[in-house]
Amino acid sequence: MRDLSLLVQMGFGALLALSVYLPLRCGQLSLATPGFYAIGGYVAALLSTRWPALSGGGASYPLTSLALELLLAALVAGAVALVLGRPVLQLRGIYLAIATIALVEILRVLNLNMAWSGGAVGIFGIPQPFDGPAGYALATGVLLALTCWLCSRLEAMRLGRAMSAIREDELAARCMGIPTADVKLIAFVLSAVIAALTGVLAAHFLNTWNARQGSFDASITTLAFVVFGGSRIWLGPVLGGLVITALPELLRPVGDLRLILFGLVILVGPILFPQGVITPEGLARIRAAVRRA
Amino acid sequence: MVHLLQILINGLASGAVYALFALGYTLVFSVLGVINFAHGAVFTIGGYLTYLLIGGAVGANGLLAGLQLPLALPFWLALGLAGAGSALVSLVVEAVAFRPLRKRQAEPLLSLISSLGAGVVLVNLVQLLMGAESYSIPSSTLAGLPAALNLGGAQIRTVQLLLLLVATLLLVLLTLWLEGSRGGKALQAVSEDPVTARLLGIDSGAMIRLAFAVSGFLAGVAGGLVGLSVSIAGPYFGIGYGLKGLGVLVLGGLGSVPGAVLGGLIVGLAEALVPSDFSGYKDGVAFAILFLVLLLRPRGLLGKPLASKV
Repeated sequence: MRDLSLLVQMGFGALLALSVYLPLRCGQLSLATPGFYAIGGYVAALLSTRWPALSGGGASYPLTSLALELLLAALVAGAVALVLGRPVLQLRGIYLAIATIALVEILRVLNLNMAWSGGAVGIFGIPQPFDGPAGYALATGVLLALTCWLCSRLEAMRLGRAMSAIREDELAARCMGIPTADVKLIAFVLSAVIAALTGVLAAHFLNTWNARQGSFDASITTLAFVVFGGSRIWLGPVLGGLVITALPELLRPVGDLRLILFGLVILVGPILFPQGVITPEGLARIRAAVRRA
Repeated sequence: MVHLLQILINGLASGAVYALFALGYTLVFSVLGVINFAHGAVFTIGGYLTYLLIGGAVGANGLLAGLQLPLALPFWLALGLAGAGSALVSLVVEAVAFRPLRKRQAEPLLSLISSLGAGVVLVNLVQLLMGAESYSIPSSTLAGLPAALNLGGAQIRTVQLLLLLVATLLLVLLTLWLEGSRGGKALQAVSEDPVTARLLGIDSGAMIRLAFAVSGFLAGVAGGLVGLSVSIAGPYFGIGYGLKGLGVLVLGGLGSVPGAVLGGLIVGLAEALVPSDFSGYKDGVAFAILFLVLLLRPRGLLGKPLASKV
């Protein structure tokens, strides 16, 4: 049981890492992921606890209602990203990063103080669509698989190539006729939608949702997933998300030292693997070795 | 009107501490072009060191439970020594998280992550040693000073005035040093252009270490001052300050010393102006201002124009 729960959380980690990876794929360091994750969670928490019609009559929460929540969360987060994206994406580099941290922080303070979000206590008793962690593991696995598929398709699509071109040199990309502002906006909106969908699943899984779910710490941890795993190919963030989420749990035997060791991993990771653990060249080498064997 | 004076002093006092904090970020940013995410942890350590040096006892939860240094230094001395200790910690952060990456000329983003790792290690080390409880520095350490002053009918806490005084003093000293001394000029030269600075015989490695040491000192002193005026709310209290300091830094303009001071004062005053009925929103004020300024003026208030690659 506990192992399955950990697996679900690892899946969430991988999804959030992909949400950070998409803007980074076109060179934009956006740390807004936890904000959209929080939005998704609040959409799910509010709909499922305040709208009795969704709960149906049965013992467990209907899956159709969950699907409706996913759809609405994607729409809300996508709309917010669409509106905020234009002005925010005009910022570059560290300025963009800090503006998105500011967004996450403003949202957190609002959620902490507003009446409808349950204030500091948050929202409790979010109904369960699944009997146990197995159902959540399945749902998270499906969402992760779909997101991975989308990201791997990107490498072969016009959009994905345009993103790589912007990452290499935005000015040159614009000169070649790539609508850079639109491409960056699409990446930002996709990133927001992935984070919000993850938030919906997480709110049901955790059974409770509050302002602590989207904070600055989370911004940085998700960024660490991507930097650790590697930001050049989608497999990197997935691996980073899975491993770093599991790390504090795997380190539990060392007791009080575990968070110190966790910090050491994040400290040493970029020094040992400046490109991340997974790189396209590394993968090619592994593939060649497998073929030879 | 009387009330306004009180708000003004409170706002300036907390703004001055934000400025001290943001200056540490700015010094490192101006020489390296990266943000040191361990800065908040150094601030935490400054607070705890001050508490220990005035003779405060460790609570029951950490490995050092019950420890009490056999000395009770006056607050000023403790604050200065805590600043020096924080400077040392900051130098260690530089050696561990920044130097190895700089040697390889790695992307700045990487040092951001590794400095964050250093911050996580430091904060959890403090938690391991001293527990998660909050500590406060009793105002009785300021023996002989009244708790509050009556200025034209407004009650001003002495602590606030002290905060303002110490922060202003440090800001003036720092500016004098940066503008008037050989070391300060060399530091500015490195931040202007590291290659030319090296050609002129400036040891850029030493200048970077100097920037980290000064930045650590400022963070440590700010930590001690906040510990005195509010409390040390557990090992993570530096993280919140670190985040707000980041906002202040960008608001003023990355790498600009007057910008950091201006940003700190604006945020401090704006927070003090939040009516007490809405005090829950206080922590969002800095970021709301920051967000608006970034959209209207992406380089911050006093930042240099952003260089564009052609």
